Amino acid sequence: MKFKKLYIFLLFLLPAAGCNDVLDLEPLDKITQEDLFGDPEGTKLYMANLYRQLPIEDFTFFRQGFNQNGPGPNNGGFAPAMVTDEAVHSEFGDFLGDGDFNWWEAGYKLIRDVNLLIEAIPSLDILQEEKDAYIGETAFIRAYAYFALAKRYGGVPIITTQQQFEGDPEALKVPRSTEEETWDFVLAECDIAIENLGTQKGRRASKWAAYALKSRAALHAASVAKFGNRAPLSGDAVDQRLVGLDPSLAGKYYEASIAASEAIMSSGEFGLYKPTPESPEEAAENYRQLFEDPNIASEEAIFIKGHALPGDHQGHNYDIWFQPAQVANGWPHPGRMNPTLELVDLYESYDQPGEIAPIVTTADGDIHNYNGFNASRTYLRFEHPADIFEGKDARLRATAILPSSTWKGIPIIIQAGFIKPDGTPVIRTNDQVTVNGTTYYTFGAENTSQYSGFDTYGGNNTRTGFSFKKFMSTDPIVPGWNQSTSDFMDFRYAEILLNYAEAVIESSSPSGEAVAKAEKALNDIRTRAGHTVAIPLTIENVQRERRVELAFENKRLWDLIRRREYHTEFNSRMRRSLMPLLDLRTTPASYIFVRASVPNTNPHTFQPKSYYRPIPGIGGNGLVQNPQY
Amino acid sequence: MAWFKTLNINYASKDMKKIFFITLSLAGLLSACELDNYPGPTASLSGTIIDDETGEPVQQDIIRGTVIELTEHGYDPVQPQYLIIKNDGSYENSRLFANTYTVQPVRGNFIAVEPQEVAIKENTKLDFHVIPYIRVKDVSIEKAGTIIKATFRLEQTVPNNIVKIGLYAHPDPHVGEPMAIARTEQELHRPVSDDELFTLELDPAAHTEFLKQGNTYFFRVGALIDVGEAKFNYEAAVAIAI
Repeated sequence: MKFKKLYIFLLFLLPAAGCNDVLDLEPLDKITQEDLFGDPEGTKLYMANLYRQLPIEDFTFFRQGFNQNGPGPNNGGFAPAMVTDEAVHSEFGDFLGDGDFNWWEAGYKLIRDVNLLIEAIPSLDILQEEKDAYIGETAFIRAYAYFALAKRYGGVPIITTQQQFEGDPEALKVPRSTEEETWDFVLAECDIAIENLGTQKGRRASKWAAYALKSRAALHAASVAKFGNRAPLSGDAVDQRLVGLDPSLAGKYYEASIAASEAIMSSGEFGLYKPTPESPEEAAENYRQLFEDPNIASEEAIFIKGHALPGDHQGHNYDIWFQPAQVANGWPHPGRMNPTLELVDLYESYDQPGEIAPIVTTADGDIHNYNGFNASRTYLRFEHPADIFEGKDARLRATAILPSSTWKGIPIIIQAGFIKPDGTPVIRTNDQVTVNGTTYYTFGAENTSQYSGFDTYGGNNTRTGFSFKKFMSTDPIVPGWNQSTSDFMDFRYAEILLNYAEAVIESSSPSGEAVAKAEKALNDIRTRAGHTVAIPLTIENVQRERRVELAFENKRLWDLIRRREYHTEFNSRMRRSLMPLLDLRTTPASYIFVRASVPNTNPHTFQPKSYYRPIPGIGGNGLVQNPQY
Repeated sequence: MAWFKTLNINYASKDMKKIFFITLSLAGLLSACELDNYPGPTASLSGTIIDDETGEPVQQDIIRGTVIELTEHGYDPVQPQYLIIKNDGSYENSRLFANTYTVQPVRGNFIAVEPQEVAIKENTKLDFHVIPYIRVKDVSIEKAGTIIKATFRLEQTVPNNIVKIGLYAHPDPHVGEPMAIARTEQELHRPVSDDELFTLELDPAAHTEFLKQGNTYFFRVGALIDVGEAKFNYEAAVAIAI
């Protein structure tokens, strides 16, 4: 009891002590700005965190956002390619929604974090060279962040200082800049980065990475200016020029992109990886290896995002989601990435340079008939499924797994059905038939573990007729989350060449010298792919080459947006499959192919408002909303 | 719980202590909630887009079509609401909060109309009298043999080019250019005269993937004017068994 009284007495004493600074403790789980940046190691750590937040569209970029590699990141493996004409998902029929590919709060968090470091740089106790490097690096990060915002939202609030809250929330509100001002800011930040960064290669930003960023960003802006009229928008945001660029601005942005690409091209530091293969087979293998491990190609890789270790927040999930079902190695959800027939059609044939080479399946050569198998049509017969792809650009085989091609030492069986000897078609229905003592199965084999196509079982099989190879590791799959450790080339030399070629051909009056250089750039990439005949520099040739060379590098989504082609490409758009069927009407059995719409999918229509993303929280931040949201 | 003991409360049992806490928290909860006394969304707005000259409703699209923009007053900034218009040109939203709104049909298939302030209450009616960019006239959609044949004339009210005309098919009556499983289109890129007769044919045999023999489908003809953000103009859909 005596003890308790003492306790009460002490309680009364507390308010008195409150006037003292006993309670003004620094929190133990936080560190002050001075302490953090006072130690060079602290600054490095802080910088690492900025790099992690960088909106790099690598293997962890999905419609939910960036760095989708936390614990159990179950997004169904719905990759950005699946809202474009590159691929469909084996199960999901989703399209681009208002909630997809946003990056607002995370963007401004990164911008606040980088602004804090930018303000601290002058006071850091380090050498001037190190300070310059930090100035360049932070400008690169800020340019990268505002580029990611500008291509989603148009003009955005440009915040270049670390805002302090002093009791008035209104003082923190920054209105949107125009889209032109925002792009100009991105390019100006690139210039600061270019000026201050060194030429060393590695995982951190370099002068070259900054040039590459400028090449890409300026090309995006130029395209919006040139093609914005293809999809006119209206509303307050348009009236105030917060979205949209005047067509007259295209010239200056194309020029900026050309100059940035040229700086990389004339630096002598870069080239294409293995530029002159002996054969298409060699070209295919070189191209495949380049993406399995870009570290082998220091001449081509300009900026790499690494995934050094497996594990949450470190590895990624491309291998478990996208490898064909037969190599799943116990993982229950493989086979999600299904390249479309449209993409496969695009790849040139070596004997018809400069033209798309659609897969012809019938004697009449009609490639626009997607009405399914029709017994009255004459289908071309092939001894082996691979024969129908004979002579196509080597990159096709390095990007997609074709029916019955070998991957990881086993033939990947992709078959949609068979035609019975009496002519009855059995397509995508589980069945079997015995002919001359041999039993044939709809999907090419008896058990679900023995094939990779068309069966809806588990959503594990391709429904386009193609599975996925680009970026895939040749090591056995580790059946768990975040176990893949392949690295991603964010910027590579081939993209720069293609940016250059596009900017030259799209700009109003390119010089003869530039056209020649652009044509060489285009054809250098084709030579690396095993082509031997050069093609002229045309808009169609550049775009086809870009779609083929950069397929699945998360470029197509933005290409459709910046060139304002999405609403015309996706207007009640069905995506297509190639269905290999075993024709038992012949002895021995042969293969025929049917061009068809992807089974169990619906047409998709792009809404022009989706050229810009909705700005969240306008009730609070007071910003002008984008059109039609 | 030491501080509680210092308050010198003697509990007869553990249960009593529990009851004390529950009563205390309930009291807290109850005093916090007071029913909000605003009326529910009981107001409604409905009406039709009407061709000012002919008095006929102006046909629309439910996907990517004309929408009515509602901006509620009294909030700043405010996110506008958009009402979709049915194919027959009528619209209704019966779950609005009574208030004054700025109302304007936008991005339509008719010459732009000015916004107007409307006090929306229960059963508020509002028709919009407009001049459609194109009137699709003398429409006949018939089965000729196995082929669906549409003939029609176009009357344009603005001098702009007509971008294209089309015959669209879908199993749902809301068929239109953005909602079609089979289509025949013709690019024009020129102005047309009122007496020019257009013919579009659609062969179901070329679309067996979606158009199954013996089923009934809806067919509709439309035309698009070359004006930024303009939508298609149509005549009503026709059901035909193929």
